Amino acid sequence: MSTALRERPAPAGAPGHGGVPARRAVIRWAWRLLRREWRQQLLVLALVTVAVAATIVGAAVATNTPPPASAGFGTAGDAATFQAPDPHLASQIAALRHRFGRLDVIENQAAAIPGSIATFDLRAQNPHGPFGQPMLSLVSGHYPERPGQVAVTSGVAATFRLKIGDLWRQAGTPRRVVGIVQNPQSLADEFALVVPGQVTVPTQVTVLFDAPGVIPSSIGPNVQTPHPAASGNVLNPQTIVLALATVGMLLIALVGIGGFTVLAQRRVQSLGLLAAQGATDKHVRLVVRANGALVGILGAVTGFVLGLAAWLAYRPTVESDAHHLIGAFQLPWTVIGVALALAVVATYAAASRPARSIARVPIVAALSGRPAPPKQVRRSALPGLVLLGGAAVLFAYSGMSNGNGSGSLELVLGLVALIAAVILLAPACLALLARLGGRAPIAVRLALRDLARYRARSGSALAAISLGVLIAVLVSVLSAQRFGNVLDYAGPNLASDQLIVYTPNGQGGGPGNGPNGPSGPVTGSKLAPMAKAAHDIASALGSHDIVQLESASASLQHAASGRTWNGQVYVATPQLLRAFGITASQVSPGADILSMRPGLSGITKMQLLFDPKASPGVGVGPGTGNGPGGNGPGGPDSFPCPKNQCLANPVIQEVSALPSGTSAPNTVITEHAISTLGLRAGISADGWLIQTPNPPTAGQITSARLTAASAGLTIETRNSIPTSSEIINWATVFGIVLALGILAMTIGLIRSETSGDLRTLAATGASSWTRRALTAATAGALGLAGAVLGTVAAYAAAIGYAWNNKLESLSELSSVPTSSLLLILIGMPLAAAVAGWLLAGREPAALGHQPME
Amino acid sequence: MTVLEMRDVSKAYGQGAGRVEALRQVDLTVGAGGMVAVMGPSGSGKSTLLTIAGSLEEASTGEVLIDGAPLSRMSRNDKARLRRRMVGYVFQDFNLLPGLTVAENVALPLELDGVGARAARAAAREALDGLRLADRASRYPSQLSGGERQRVAIARAVVGDRRLLLADEPSGALDSVNAEAVMRLIHEACKRGMAAVVVTHDAQLASWADRVVFLRDGHVVDQTAPLPGPESLLTPGQTS
Repeated sequence: MSTALRERPAPAGAPGHGGVPARRAVIRWAWRLLRREWRQQLLVLALVTVAVAATIVGAAVATNTPPPASAGFGTAGDAATFQAPDPHLASQIAALRHRFGRLDVIENQAAAIPGSIATFDLRAQNPHGPFGQPMLSLVSGHYPERPGQVAVTSGVAATFRLKIGDLWRQAGTPRRVVGIVQNPQSLADEFALVVPGQVTVPTQVTVLFDAPGVIPSSIGPNVQTPHPAASGNVLNPQTIVLALATVGMLLIALVGIGGFTVLAQRRVQSLGLLAAQGATDKHVRLVVRANGALVGILGAVTGFVLGLAAWLAYRPTVESDAHHLIGAFQLPWTVIGVALALAVVATYAAASRPARSIARVPIVAALSGRPAPPKQVRRSALPGLVLLGGAAVLFAYSGMSNGNGSGSLELVLGLVALIAAVILLAPACLALLARLGGRAPIAVRLALRDLARYRARSGSALAAISLGVLIAVLVSVLSAQRFGNVLDYAGPNLASDQLIVYTPNGQGGGPGNGPNGPSGPVTGSKLAPMAKAAHDIASALGSHDIVQLESASASLQHAASGRTWNGQVYVATPQLLRAFGITASQVSPGADILSMRPGLSGITKMQLLFDPKASPGVGVGPGTGNGPGGNGPGGPDSFPCPKNQCLANPVIQEVSALPSGTSAPNTVITEHAISTLGLRAGISADGWLIQTPNPPTAGQITSARLTAASAGLTIETRNSIPTSSEIINWATVFGIVLALGILAMTIGLIRSETSGDLRTLAATGASSWTRRALTAATAGALGLAGAVLGTVAAYAAAIGYAWNNKLESLSELSSVPTSSLLLILIGMPLAAAVAGWLLAGREPAALGHQPME
Repeated sequence: MTVLEMRDVSKAYGQGAGRVEALRQVDLTVGAGGMVAVMGPSGSGKSTLLTIAGSLEEASTGEVLIDGAPLSRMSRNDKARLRRRMVGYVFQDFNLLPGLTVAENVALPLELDGVGARAARAAAREALDGLRLADRASRYPSQLSGGERQRVAIARAVVGDRRLLLADEPSGALDSVNAEAVMRLIHEACKRGMAAVVVTHDAQLASWADRVVFLRDGHVVDQTAPLPGPESLLTPGQTS
């Protein structure tokens, strides 16, 4: 028997699925539904919008903050820099001109600012030169056109109180100020521009030229080419922003799955009707998928507009911070394009799973508006566990190459495997939860079973929460690990109310002076005026709390592989100990070293290198270490080192009262060790630590710097490096807020599917207590499962990374961020449960059946 | 010419102790231009019969043929195409798609079948015109009365020269005036050559049909020609 139908002939060119007209009709309907029900999709829409906007602003800031690759090159492909005076300068420039044709010669003469150690350049440059034009722009007035005219930067104008039209006598030469200029590629570049030939004694000459195809080093050692930050380094700002955007979109997709599932469920009757009218499964899937893609497109467009507006508003601040001009549309368009595409792909992918599920609902069941019963999926946890193990192995490979620049590919693959493992393990965790809750009270039991039954949305929500927690825990654990390393101490250099004034012996050295600089170590008569200047600085800051920092010719060394000792070892003078409230009785008589670095006393293979014959100010350090000097004996493998130059296993006493900054005297050598090792003669004054009543202002710091410079000193103030606890606290807050946010967004979706059960419960006499308990248990259980899964995955990654890592050893993972983990593992689920309890007073509206017109 | 033929069709849901026989060995034939009303108490299998006849569900046993083609040999896509081109449905609760205008709702089966939007819209307007709904073409379903919505649903069911119209309680949500109007429209469609199966529990409305099938517990317990219905009053020669 034939199955051919005597039916209406198919339209010409229309395939079995109705072709383009059918797809167009279906997409049109999806668009109309989106317009009608946009409120129900506001969550995913808002997430996409924020993610895209954040990506645009983040990418713009990240890529525009570093100086442009062409800074100092203009439009030239090459630049030769000559230090002047040089008798061969003219001939070298002539040779370049002969070989490469067009040149742009920029002459600079360093000029002092009276009363300041700061300088500016007197610069001779042709504003219309062939290559240097991007390095000059006119703010007001005009460029100098003849000798006797000068254009200055606004900084120089402010310093010398100049304005256009003034006659400025600089170094005895009168010049008329004709304009205000700037270097768009470096706003911190302060200079006075004159016409070429007017710089009589240049200190530096830069020649810009193009030498395509010629290796710069073959032209000369002083020739360079622009080197974009992104080139050659996989982990550049663009790839980092892209990676963050990808993870963000993945989270959105995971949250979106729940949203689109509920939405599809709400439309089940309409979709059934569509099928009854002859729509194929493909058409039904297309409705949901098109909805997802449309949400993505809408979110991407809105996010793009918002992000662009935010960038345009924020651009002046970035320019000011980055010290160079940034074009309004100088954006990483590739990154933005990929982010926009990712937004659409994420929502499309999120809608795909519900689309497949809803297309499988029998037409009659769909027409009746009955939600499809959850499919009992018994997925093994094995693939997830295998991937988790694989991720750990990849991280181990990446960690093995730590420090030599390779291992990026393993790192990226490890992250991908880790994320996939979390996604695959999430449903299994829900099944495990349901099993564990078998004997719990009815509300909790029901909540756990519902989570396991409706894994389509609760599994994806759990995966999203776990990924948020994973990021937070990983940052916390790695921070604790890195900051917990007592040898290579990391963190802020000083407290915000501390300031160090260094003599040329000290870490910073003075201008033109290093520890072994031309003017030699600072002793005796040279020290007195410096001490006076330091005390003047302290007085100006309203402080009388000033401690002289002295160093001996000694340093610590860890004679083993891994991170080396880093930091200055000052002398524990009675004055220094007193300043930090440490009494003599608190110091063990046999202690050689006092340190606030927790755990340092327990490190084996420590040795104290010293040179009793050294002159004051001459450093001693391990041959390959990061010590203050560089002429010490031995290397990390020689333990114990020669006794006349080294004390193996010095007695280290931990004293928590010492300051913790990396530049502060956190580790000091005792008077006992000084006497025993005969280091008294080599003690030198490195500087003064000033404790101020309040953190100094920028103006006070500038003033202190000028005072210090005038006495040949340098100062060090608090840098911007965060503390370990700051990083961990922020990461913890991020993880908890993200997890709670996802819970807030998804818990309603998850519970909505069981609203029918709730009504049944109410009908059987369950009170609002039960309803609250159900929601609280759902939120708490999801939070707890997410916290545990995320933490386990983070530790798997961290352990893998440290497994065979030369710098970050496995033992350093013992620095557990306990409070952070407690907050995440206990506080967050508890907060979720409490919030769920409080917000679950009202019975959710029925969602399973949406009446059609 | 036979449009719908159901041979020994049975349908069971569930398994074991929970097994429910919704239809038992039902035979039904409807020819072109014929109108069959299906009556019976709740749970007798009326709607199941309709959904199986319209390929929305598969029979457990037996065979369903539409225009001579057995549904059991058709793929899901073939059945979808069959519904687009040959079978029109009318539901009790209208089931118009929200978000689409009246004209777009009616044009939907054609567009799904690959007919261009303009041509489909023209055909829809023609169908709406026939049901005196042309002025409602650009409105949304929510802007129509119940009777109008059901007329639109009928327009959608007949558009594109379909051959079989299946109506499940098409007047269930309407008042008596609108219910009569709906039945009249279905009757007129049959006059143009369509075969129709109408599920109803209203004997008055069933009298529009050529034949009434009674179902009980899934069995066809009786088949009879209905008493002269209201339409007979309109037919010259049958009024005496």
